[in-house]
Amino acid sequence: MLDLLIQGAPLFFTWQAVLLTAAGIVAGLFIGVLPGLGPLMGIVLMLPVAFHLPPIPAMGMLIAIYVGGSAGGSISAILLRIPGTPLAAATLFDGYPMAQKGRSQDAIGLSIIASSLGGLLAGCVLLFFSPLLAAFALRFGPPEYAAMALFGLLTIAIVSEGSTIKGMVTGAFGLAIATMGTDEFTNAYRFTFGNFNLTSGPHIVPVVVGLFALSEVFVQIEGGDLTASPKIQRLRVSFRALRLILAHKVNLVRSAMIGTFMGAIPGAGGDVSAFVSYAVARRLAGPDEGYGEGAEGGVVATEAANNGCCGGALIPSLSLGIPGDASTAVLLAALFLLGFFPGPELFQYNADIAGGIFIAYLIGNVVLLIAGIVLVPFFGSVLKLPKAWLLPAVILLSTMGTYALQNSVFDLWVMLVFGAVGYLLRRANYPLAPIIIGMILGPVLENNLRRSLLISRDGLQIFIDRPISATILGMTGVLLAYVVITLIRGAPKAAKDEESSE
Amino acid sequence: MRLQAYSYDWIVWGLFLALPFVIFWQAATSLEEQGVAGGGPMENAASFPRLIAWLLLGLAAVNGVRIALCRISAPSPLAPTPTTRLACVVAAVFVAYLLLLPWLGYHLVTPVMMATTMMLLGLSIPVAVAGGVAISLLVAAVFQGLLNVVLPVGLFEITLFG
Repeated sequence: MLDLLIQGAPLFFTWQAVLLTAAGIVAGLFIGVLPGLGPLMGIVLMLPVAFHLPPIPAMGMLIAIYVGGSAGGSISAILLRIPGTPLAAATLFDGYPMAQKGRSQDAIGLSIIASSLGGLLAGCVLLFFSPLLAAFALRFGPPEYAAMALFGLLTIAIVSEGSTIKGMVTGAFGLAIATMGTDEFTNAYRFTFGNFNLTSGPHIVPVVVGLFALSEVFVQIEGGDLTASPKIQRLRVSFRALRLILAHKVNLVRSAMIGTFMGAIPGAGGDVSAFVSYAVARRLAGPDEGYGEGAEGGVVATEAANNGCCGGALIPSLSLGIPGDASTAVLLAALFLLGFFPGPELFQYNADIAGGIFIAYLIGNVVLLIAGIVLVPFFGSVLKLPKAWLLPAVILLSTMGTYALQNSVFDLWVMLVFGAVGYLLRRANYPLAPIIIGMILGPVLENNLRRSLLISRDGLQIFIDRPISATILGMTGVLLAYVVITLIRGAPKAAKDEESSE
Repeated sequence: MRLQAYSYDWIVWGLFLALPFVIFWQAATSLEEQGVAGGGPMENAASFPRLIAWLLLGLAAVNGVRIALCRISAPSPLAPTPTTRLACVVAAVFVAYLLLLPWLGYHLVTPVMMATTMMLLGLSIPVAVAGGVAISLLVAAVFQGLLNVVLPVGLFEITLFG
């Protein structure tokens, strides 16, 4: 465990990596503050920039945006009753009432400190469990990897927002996109339609930027209020929350652990963990604490959980190569494109990179604590920024970031096409994250499936004969059964809801 | 079956229904011609895409039934908002930008696109022009100056920070 940190330290402690990690936290905080954007958007926008950097500064910056963005969403939830990100939705319950009582600075301070400490606790778990999980995964062969990819894909499709079937459809769509380009086994061109630009398939960056950033811009324009600027009360730097948090030590640790655990389950996500830890904290709190009316414990519980979730989501991502959520899927894509393969090999052959990433995550959370408190006065100013300024800037950053990747105008058209696809999918309430996860897990699934069949003498029987792959497939079977039962049970209820709404 | 209430659902359903047929068509034509549409796991580059196509077909069938019977929780009507037309105009400006970018280069087209978009979104002309030029220069400084990216130079080969 400490070996990793020692190996990663020389890579991380360079002016470039430290500076970019700090900048990532600040950028993440501001992006998280702005309603409608969020850590994923921040990572997506900076992804092309990351490819021009050395691995650890690049990953440090992206992970810091992830951490800062996850924490920043609480600020608009507290001040405006609009969560900057879905992760902060549960922070509304007590954060906004605290602000209404004139305690907005305390609420923001508590949310930042809880996020930071929650993230640090999750970092310790990440540091302990990732190498163990990676060591266990060394026993994996092609059948286990294929089974794991299938399990990860199905889990994310099932628990992602929107309906299960829609999640599975977009997951399958991601798998289909991943088959485009040159087949690794035969060198044949698949679905390139004679276009030379598609011989490696569509690059993941234009796909991600189009789906998440460009479509979001057009949804936001359709939402109106383009020049509106909300009234925000004046905020000052205050360290009082550092003292207030001491009264919520147990709640903080418990919520961080809930967040970490739920983050480690692919697809469970920070928003779910925040609601769960809030419910637990509320149940265990005394009646005089006034949950729902501005309880400090409510803010601590939700924020410790949703940032703890970041660390948790990195566990399966780094040690198995199975992303925990959409943001970690894009982080994994970044790691792939920087030339490193997440999974046991990362810990075996590139332990310094794994260690550097861990340090970046831990230092990011420390910077969050300082920057989150010191920059409080600026958050109000950022919230006043009208969309008429913000959205064109997002368009330009998306465009140039995508272009810069391969100096390719073709990539810009790919981005535009996926922007249109993303817009349609959003309007039809399809989750977008499974597409990216499908694109990442698609090659893992296909290559390992075909390798398994190559080494097998009895076709698919190899998946049953090997205990680990059989167990993973058993879990996948249980998940599928759950989907079918939910569909059968849910259909009449949905129809009833539909009738009652008419 | 209510077409209007689930318009977007039907559009997306149509797209996802078409996808498996594209996969089958490509497997039967392009992959067949390359001799990789059959055989064992090593030679068969079409088996996995076909598997996905069948999965998509099955899911499309289930989803089609659900939409037809109105058994999905949230409707998705084609309900334009007061700013939908504006979103379409901004999209058109962006498409024009992508068409002109390789010909005229970043430094000529980007400030115009940015200023036009900002104006369309409601900023005054002087603010939009100043903002458009400033943001374009800032982005160029970051990408060209710091990251050494060669932004599109166009026919006039204009570079500022390279």
